[in-house]
Amino acid sequence: MYQVQNSQALVAAHRRLFGRRRARTVVAPTVVLLGLTSLFTDISSEMVSTILPLYLVYTVGLSPVAFGLVDGLYQGGGALVRVASGFVGDKFRRHKEVAVVGYGLSAVCKLGFLVVGGAVGALSSIIVLDRTGKGIRTAPRDAMISLSTPREQLGTAFGVHRALDTTGAMLGPLLAFGMLALAPGRFDAIFVVSFCVALVGLGILVLFVQNQRDDRPADEAPAVSLRSAARLLESRKFTLVIAIGCLLGLATMSDGFVYVGLQHRLGFETRFLPLLYVGTSVVYMLLAVPVGKLADKLGRLKIFVAGYLLLLALYATILVPNLTPVALVGCLVLFGLYYAATDGVLMAISSALLPEETRGSGLALVTTGTTLARLFGSLAFGALWTFAGLNVAVIVFIAALSTGIVVTAIAGRGVARATNA
Amino acid sequence: MRKPGRAHVFAALVVVCVAGAAIYLLVASRAPDLAPAATPIGTGHVEPSARRVALNGMSAPARELLTAAGVGSRRVAFRDLDRGDTANWGRIAIAPLTAREPRRLVGSARCERLYVRAGRGLCLAKGGGFGTLYTAEVLDARFHVVHRIPLAGIPSRARISSNGRYGATTTFVAGHSYNTPGKFSTQTLLLDLVHGKAITNLERFHVTLDGKVVDKPDVNFWGVTFARDGRHFYATMATGHKTYLVVADIETRTGQVLRDNVECPSLSPDGTRIAYKKLVHLAPGTPAIWHLHVLDLRTMKDVALAEPDPIDDQAEWLGNKLVVYGTGEEIRAVRADGSGHSVALVTAADSPADLD
Repeated sequence: MYQVQNSQALVAAHRRLFGRRRARTVVAPTVVLLGLTSLFTDISSEMVSTILPLYLVYTVGLSPVAFGLVDGLYQGGGALVRVASGFVGDKFRRHKEVAVVGYGLSAVCKLGFLVVGGAVGALSSIIVLDRTGKGIRTAPRDAMISLSTPREQLGTAFGVHRALDTTGAMLGPLLAFGMLALAPGRFDAIFVVSFCVALVGLGILVLFVQNQRDDRPADEAPAVSLRSAARLLESRKFTLVIAIGCLLGLATMSDGFVYVGLQHRLGFETRFLPLLYVGTSVVYMLLAVPVGKLADKLGRLKIFVAGYLLLLALYATILVPNLTPVALVGCLVLFGLYYAATDGVLMAISSALLPEETRGSGLALVTTGTTLARLFGSLAFGALWTFAGLNVAVIVFIAALSTGIVVTAIAGRGVARATNA
Repeated sequence: MRKPGRAHVFAALVVVCVAGAAIYLLVASRAPDLAPAATPIGTGHVEPSARRVALNGMSAPARELLTAAGVGSRRVAFRDLDRGDTANWGRIAIAPLTAREPRRLVGSARCERLYVRAGRGLCLAKGGGFGTLYTAEVLDARFHVVHRIPLAGIPSRARISSNGRYGATTTFVAGHSYNTPGKFSTQTLLLDLVHGKAITNLERFHVTLDGKVVDKPDVNFWGVTFARDGRHFYATMATGHKTYLVVADIETRTGQVLRDNVECPSLSPDGTRIAYKKLVHLAPGTPAIWHLHVLDLRTMKDVALAEPDPIDDQAEWLGNKLVVYGTGEEIRAVRADGSGHSVALVTAADSPADLD
């Protein structure tokens, strides 16, 4: 009989449970624990976001058109909160506590859905709060991952986290559909189960994750102020990374457009669309760690650029008039691989450039920048499709993405060495 | 004194969460949701069971309205929504409109949406494989299931062509977002009822608006109504926060926009008019409000019907003079020319379909 003493023991026990041999590169327990927190939280939140449109339209009686208006609430709001939470985590060196607030808020919101019932105004507020929770937790979580990882393993560490995170995002919708099959129309059961799953994730964070201890005495550690956080933008290398992230983000269409674009070419039934999402997630989940390792070994910027080249290839296939189902599978592999090569790798690149004391603020700036850029990119794609047709929209985005990749490859040479292991 | 380890606290948390979730789910799965599909708008409290014998257009105004329109002897099929008889909730029922005769339950299916025409029925029912939560059951003249067609999403509308060859279903689908995560859309399928399979999704039709083919990412269709010729149909097309009335040709897979702000059209038996729900109020954070209107296709003259409550349903014609529809609680009728008052025909029922 053994007594589980700390997180390390828990991770070891977890490994024993799954009969795995000790991996060659061991990531810090904090990374795995944060990955598990994300896994459970994503199961919880994806369960709800999968059924939320149906819930709003079917039970609450919101019109399809009105739903588009409420849907706008989803967007944008999180950006400011994200930067603020990164900064607060840096300033008080309490990333964990800030993350707990974010994860906790989202968990409570699941119960909120249950309590407010069909009151549309209150429902909208809950959706906004839920999103705010997501905005709060992202930056401190990524900061903790990077702070607990040696520089040469950053790509691997973010790969491990994203693999677990994606697993949760994949399981959530499956669980929600399974439950609706078991108890049709009982959306309340989904909210309750979602809350319970979120509590487990929150429990892992609260009980096992620890803030990175700073051994320096308080007067030696650099104080973090708004000014020192703002000074991050004076670092040419770091601003270049943000600029690159935004530029490429602007030339990226949302996943939904990729899937619907492929559907237009192949003409398969709408009920198979979720399978594309699952396929992409499986590839991403399986490859996040190996590609992260590869990034640590071969150079992160190289892998990052390679990822966008894969995306370029994917966009090109959307232009092919008659896709075969085999080509479709190939597309999903490309798409999953693109995610594995870019999402966590960008965080690793940024982490390597940021001083420890402003890691949270810095990572928040990167994610906020790229998220907003992607939002604008998708809006632009939608508008282009509407006014000029799908082919024109895809061609414009291929041109933009090519430009972005060339700029990244040229301008990135200066930062490449500084961002590597 | 020993403090419980963090692992013990965590184990306890997991046990409580798993047990809580499992118990709630178990209880929920034993008591399936009986709420009407859409929020019942309007009032109308339903007394359990008492109405099983009382009803069917026996009120004097109802009888008067039906007789004046020459449809007093008609029978309708509908979904039975008797809260006092949950075992039969959602089953198909038939009743004559004015005879003093109770409703008769037929078939064994429980439906979310129902339509009957030309000796065929379409019952959109819960169940199906994993990932397909609903199925379109094609019924024969004796209400036996002859085909099952899997549906994506939650049922909203069902219609059958007057020759019984085609069917159409509209469902709300989530999970494939266009430009925003979690956004929903509708899916409308054209069905081959003879062979029991889906022919195509309406999104694959080439619809022209102002002379140009609509190729937009956010196009949705809903609410099909078939023309008598067995070849054309009308439906609602939505794009860019606007809705349009479209007339389409099944053989050429093409369509044209006729007019805007028309949802869930229903063609009169003589093919001259469209009853539909018109969006009159839309604001973020509040439920949308529609009122029933009738559009004359020859003159494009539009008239509001005398139903005071907001209605969210695809109307059905009873002859060429009356329109019937569900409020979520009961089936009502109103004159198609905008005059008179609406009357209740069948309580605790929806999805009306004219059987004659």
